[in-house]
Amino acid sequence: MQASKARLFKEYHEVQREKIADPDIQLVCDESNIFKWTAFVKGPSETPYEGGVFQLSFSVSDQYPLQPPQVRFLTKIFHPNVHFKVGWIFIGKSMLGKVKRVAITIGGVVGIMGIDVATVVISDGRSGGSYQWEWGMLVLEQHGQRAQLNGEHEMRNCNLEVETGEICLDILKNAWSPAWTLQSVCRAIIALMAHPEPDSPLNCDSGNLLRSGDVRGYQSMARMYTRLAAMPKKG
Amino acid sequence: MEPLSSLAAEYKSGSPILLEKIKVLDEQYAAIRRTRGDGNCFFRSFMFSYLEHIMECQDQAEVDRIQPNVEKSRKALQTLGYADLTFEDFFALFLEQLECVIQGKETSISHEELVIRSRDQSISDYVVMFFRFVTSAEIQMRTEFFEPFILGLTNTTVEQFCKLSVEPMGEESDHVHITALSDALGVPIRVVYLDRSSCDTGGVSVNHHDFMPVAGDLPSASCSSVKNFPFITLLYRPGHYDILYPK
Repeated sequence: MQASKARLFKEYHEVQREKIADPDIQLVCDESNIFKWTAFVKGPSETPYEGGVFQLSFSVSDQYPLQPPQVRFLTKIFHPNVHFKVGWIFIGKSMLGKVKRVAITIGGVVGIMGIDVATVVISDGRSGGSYQWEWGMLVLEQHGQRAQLNGEHEMRNCNLEVETGEICLDILKNAWSPAWTLQSVCRAIIALMAHPEPDSPLNCDSGNLLRSGDVRGYQSMARMYTRLAAMPKKG
Repeated sequence: MEPLSSLAAEYKSGSPILLEKIKVLDEQYAAIRRTRGDGNCFFRSFMFSYLEHIMECQDQAEVDRIQPNVEKSRKALQTLGYADLTFEDFFALFLEQLECVIQGKETSISHEELVIRSRDQSISDYVVMFFRFVTSAEIQMRTEFFEPFILGLTNTTVEQFCKLSVEPMGEESDHVHITALSDALGVPIRVVYLDRSSCDTGGVSVNHHDFMPVAGDLPSASCSSVKNFPFITLLYRPGHYDILYPK
């Protein structure tokens, strides 16, 4: 605990000094919790993310820097290696029957879709568990116990907030080492934005477009979502 | 620490070649100390064996000898562009352990405490990470020397190899890591190989390899001052390192 705090304080001071050196990254520490950080990174130029500012959330454990931080995109981004953020899931009142599809609200637009994997948390705070969408089934995880919601459960007024934006990047998993810092992780994420790895997709739609050679399709989708989610609203 | 017979017991119904080899080992080695098999076993074995040697011999000369090597590694990392904050805590913790094993100070620790610390991940893992940084720096500073060995193992650049196979915790060590660490710190290491290979002549012998640092002052081998002889002996079985104690 002490070691991770000491290291994070050092990084905090380094970040203050590097602010001018790295104008593409703005890394901010939570005022009351050194283990929570937020970053704003600029989309790299000559990519469909150019002009956008993307928000990342860092959750650092007390095993840091031996263990990597958990990093997620808070800003929706269309990228093969980032789980697509879908906003809110609404499951209708007293819904019975098989949970096949859920209604998803993105910016006020309601759509129906199935998602592959997304960690979702209940928004009313009544239960502290998390929900995972696996193979077309909603899996509830609470206090280490798992239950599958596949039609035998009644669901009432469930507003689920989706926490996606998960990033597939080797240095955040098995290739992590303490030689990385929160700042250099941001740099690695910017590099990933410029050089997607469509062979290990978390966003299959985006990965498939690139793998099938439809660079234009990928770019226009990515650009559209950059405009919708990562640029300031006009007027 | 366990007697070598425990090793024989492990292979009781196993390969006769291995049992023969363990018999040969039994003539030279008194005991084995097992290391956690988490991919860090080489570095952890080295850590314990090295600190235990200094403690038992109260080898202040070795403590004085290794410090310039540690500083050289620090400079190497800086030259390679590593920010101080990324590695300094690991360096500090190792130097602290080095001080602690010398007796007669406020910070001195007992052998029992050394065992406890080696099991305490908050200390042990930091020292392992220190060795990983030292190893990585040595490889990257002597790219030309290490490149052919690394190309034999993986098809990556030297820098990529260090980023993916040296620096991350849990990545297993190979002869490249051992050579680099031994060279960087100037500490000879003997590795005894226990595997099923047998020699053509028919007789069973146990192979070993001494990793001898390339240059500089070598530490004393035993508590007497015989130089150029490894005081760290590790037993290698495919995929794992443990510590061996000579008779």
